[in-house]
Amino acid sequence: MGEESLKRRKGEDKGREDRQSIQSHEPQTMNLQKQVGLISGICMIVGTIIGSGIFVSPKSVLANVEAVGPCLTIWAACGVLATLGALCFAELGTMITKSGGEYPYLMEAFGPIPAFLFSWTSLLVTKPSSFAIICLSFAEYASAPFYPGCDPPQAVIKCLAAAAIVVITIVNSLSVKLASYLQNFLTAAKMIIVTIIIVSGIVLLAQGKTDNFKDSFKGSKISVSSISLAFYNGLWAYDGCLTAFNWFTLSLNLPLSIIIGIPLVTVCYVLINVSYFTVMTSTELLQSQAVAVTFGDRVLYPASWIVPLFVVFSTLGSANGTCFTAGRLVYVAGREGHVLKILSYISVKHLTPAPAIIFYGAIAIIYVIPGDINSLINYFSFAVWIFYGLTVLALIVMRFTRKELERPIRVPIIIPVIVTLVSIVLVLAPIISAPELPYLYCTLFILSGLIVYALFVHLKFRWAQKISKPITMHLQMLLEVVPEEDVPE
Amino acid sequence: MELSEKGGIQNNGFVQNEDFEDKEMATSSQEEMPKTCSVDVEPVAVEETVLKPYAGMPKEVLLQFSSQARYRVTREILFWLVIAGAVVLVCATIAIIALSPRCLDWWQASPIYQIYPRSFRDSNMDGNGDLKGIQEKLDHITYLNIKTIWITSFFKSPLKDLGYGAEDFYDIDPIFGSMTDFENLIAAIHDKGLKVIMDLIPNHTSDKHRWFQLSRNRTGKYTDYYIWQDCRQAAGSVIPPNNWVSVFGNSSWEFDDVRKQCYFHQFGKEQPDLNFRNAAVQQEIHDIIKFWLGKGVDGLSFGTVKFLLEATHLRDEPPVNKSQNGESITAYSQLYHDYTTTQVGLHDIVRGFRHTMDEFSREPGRYRFMGSDDDEKEDIEATMMYYGTTFIQEADFPFNFNLINMKNLSGNSVSEAVNSWMQNMPAGKWPNWAVGSPNAARISTRIGKEYINVMNMLLLTLPGTPVTYYGEEIGMENIASENATLPEKSPMQWDGKANAGFTEGNSSWLPVNSDYQSVNVEVQSAWSNSSLGLYRALTVLRNEELPLNRGWLCHVWNDSDVFVYVRELDGMDRVFMMVLNFGQEATTDLQARVPNLPSEAVVRLSTHFSNAGKVVNTKLIKTEMGEGLVLQYKTAKPVHTMEAFQGKCFVAEKACYSKALNLLYVNC
Repeated sequence: MGEESLKRRKGEDKGREDRQSIQSHEPQTMNLQKQVGLISGICMIVGTIIGSGIFVSPKSVLANVEAVGPCLTIWAACGVLATLGALCFAELGTMITKSGGEYPYLMEAFGPIPAFLFSWTSLLVTKPSSFAIICLSFAEYASAPFYPGCDPPQAVIKCLAAAAIVVITIVNSLSVKLASYLQNFLTAAKMIIVTIIIVSGIVLLAQGKTDNFKDSFKGSKISVSSISLAFYNGLWAYDGCLTAFNWFTLSLNLPLSIIIGIPLVTVCYVLINVSYFTVMTSTELLQSQAVAVTFGDRVLYPASWIVPLFVVFSTLGSANGTCFTAGRLVYVAGREGHVLKILSYISVKHLTPAPAIIFYGAIAIIYVIPGDINSLINYFSFAVWIFYGLTVLALIVMRFTRKELERPIRVPIIIPVIVTLVSIVLVLAPIISAPELPYLYCTLFILSGLIVYALFVHLKFRWAQKISKPITMHLQMLLEVVPEEDVPE
Repeated sequence: MELSEKGGIQNNGFVQNEDFEDKEMATSSQEEMPKTCSVDVEPVAVEETVLKPYAGMPKEVLLQFSSQARYRVTREILFWLVIAGAVVLVCATIAIIALSPRCLDWWQASPIYQIYPRSFRDSNMDGNGDLKGIQEKLDHITYLNIKTIWITSFFKSPLKDLGYGAEDFYDIDPIFGSMTDFENLIAAIHDKGLKVIMDLIPNHTSDKHRWFQLSRNRTGKYTDYYIWQDCRQAAGSVIPPNNWVSVFGNSSWEFDDVRKQCYFHQFGKEQPDLNFRNAAVQQEIHDIIKFWLGKGVDGLSFGTVKFLLEATHLRDEPPVNKSQNGESITAYSQLYHDYTTTQVGLHDIVRGFRHTMDEFSREPGRYRFMGSDDDEKEDIEATMMYYGTTFIQEADFPFNFNLINMKNLSGNSVSEAVNSWMQNMPAGKWPNWAVGSPNAARISTRIGKEYINVMNMLLLTLPGTPVTYYGEEIGMENIASENATLPEKSPMQWDGKANAGFTEGNSSWLPVNSDYQSVNVEVQSAWSNSSLGLYRALTVLRNEELPLNRGWLCHVWNDSDVFVYVRELDGMDRVFMMVLNFGQEATTDLQARVPNLPSEAVVRLSTHFSNAGKVVNTKLIKTEMGEGLVLQYKTAKPVHTMEAFQGKCFVAEKACYSKALNLLYVNC
């Protein structure tokens, strides 16, 4: 039954694609360009999930279990967990075919208020700040080689991060094609360095450098808390999944990308770790400042400079991917009416959600300016897991409340239960281990969305409309953007 | 005009997209606009009055209005502004990077804390300090705001107290712990973000070393690992090949019964000299360097390198007193050591060490420091040779013993010690300072308790890397011991408990100084007016204030009592002036010395804590015996720009500060 409907669903997809290709010859219909194929789709997913983390700090997992064997096991297990999460989203995505990230699921299961809070938090804080953070870390990696032995000045990092944000914003609002070419190029760079690391690791293994794998479970520190902490750290490496899920639910393209993409990432992660361990002992790995750079230095010298270069490409790729997907999230939120309508408009000439992307870029630049955003935003990351958990919980809830909905993909109920429990742990673990005031501020910020909701959505103040209408009109003129026309489904 | 334009554009709304774009390109030049419009006016008119822009208008409506000049021009301007903004941002980044000075490396940025491992902390109650003990006490080093630890020799050695003469360069002496302990210590040090330097003395080994055993049996390549010479035996006594004398006195040749030859030793007879003219020996040392750097050690201090080579011709060295003849010369100071120290080729060997270390320095942030530890009391130029040249890098710095070797203490002698280093140091190199070492009496014993704080203030406010010997931060004294060679190596005084908290065992290898009840870390950290409190305040000041970190040093004034100097940075109007008293109570008129000096300055730090924060008149600066002041004032005309001070100012790693951007730049 599931398979059959999957097939049907695919048929629909194909049909829609066909329609789109016809549409592209009829430029009167204003619609977002969706020129992304399967390969690009997988690229996007792999590109977004594999961030720079695996190159810089794969040590957080190792630090908790202290031995090679459990470390590799946990990396694989995290991948399995991420795939399970992906399957949950696949069910949701095929059941409720509205786009807009977690919003429609939260809407269906819990009503408008949690859904609004989700939009509120993700549009103003989590999405733009993660864009800002990725650009900041890009700037750090890119400027680090010029400042051996010390930290680059803040002015350099901020200028470069802002430049990256502006350039990525321009590219994404000018052309979908250009953005996805850029993404393909950067993802290719990322995959090249991943391949280089994996292949040289395998070559070294074949040469018999297996010392570090002997007794790989010896000396491990296995307890409930150490394993859960290791999981906690490991799952962050799959953090990009969230973006990928959102993107999937934006119905850009097929579940196939996800079903191929995430296990591919898992395999990569495990193999990269294997490569690291062939070259470094666990102590050395824990001591290294940037593990991939150390690896490159040991194995690839005199070509070791390619590693930092490609790590920089890789970060830039993540930034572009984040912008690409999150720009669309803003756009959908605008279309659904939880933010200003203007954000859902589409550029007449370029067929990109330019206002959404510009809005996103502008907020990201604001986040780049203040002194130390990283710490603040780390606190906000727990909000990400709250909504992630809520969404999967929505799946469970709807199994009971919305039995009538057709579910082309139906995962066993245990999977969402596991994922929900894991999310709860991931939300609570950092708060319990180091309770700090900023968590309270974050909660307050999320709840402050309620006030906005009450004023503008629930009561619909007229004066707000009076102000926004002429602004919308003039902005429309200025940016040459118009609302998307309804596509007959 | 308004109407006709409207009409023209309205027409655009009807054409297909591609055409529209073409047209827009054509009409983009302002001149052509009216023409196109006037042609197109005709077919319009039917529904134009209905159309008005409104929020949420579709494409058809929008396109009729959006190319109005006020929108189009604004749009174009904004677009190009954003593009220009991006370009400016990229250019700004490139410019800042290009103008940034080379940043201070870890060995330049932080003071170095030198630990004598046997006396630092005992973890296993045997009365001897060990590596685990150091690991237990790493928090003390971070408490001092220090990031570099220098652990003196811990190789396996039968000569435990001296640490010289390794029996095995690849192993750790059992009293200090095992190799696992060492690996754990390194990991713990790095986990705390600290760096570690260790000693390596390549000149000689212990006579228990495997190489020596093989060499005296003439086994294979080991035959020439040491310096062997035939020596005549006559009537039960050995006649050495020449008049060379060892550092510890008497002939440096020792007859070996097994090989029936004499071997050469610069130090004790248990410490035979390696033959560095043998390439295999050099290779062994390179392998040792690689071994320890591979373990993660961040730097090596090469000791006694000037003794590496000796002249091959074996001529007698000239006696200092020409009337003395061969037989009566037994002390090291009675000869000029022209043939046994600093021979031609020595620096090539040291540069070879550097080369090997550089192979490990490639990883960013993992630069391996190289120091050379040779006390050339007389010949400062010979010491400076270890800095290398601008073309060939050698040691990052040779350790500076000027402040330890001062014969008497006065403002003049301190200023001379400082100047001699700064004036002789090659341009572009990095200075360093030490006021205590394992081979010299403690400050309080050498020059007096009352000068401990002012010496620490001097150490931590001079430019370059300060080296602090353990215990100097709390002002430890020599022990009054019958064992005369080691009084400055008494156990570290941690707290007021038995054995000063050094060991939980019943006794320590050297007795703890009897003053430990008042001079210890625990007491002093509770008491802000202590030596330890001042030391910490100084390291904080050093880390926070760029002029102290990498600014100019200008020598302002010295007399028998005080030594006065300023630290300043181009572009920063905040100047620090140190007024340090190394004699008796004195009053100094600084306005007479420095033109344009502001009449008032704030005491940022004083060895008398209660004075901090006070405002002093720069015409009358009173310092008591052993008092030191860090004065802070603002001036638009810093000392180093004044002509009167040309030649009295030094700067290493010059950089200028930009207040607006809060960063450093080079070309100024």
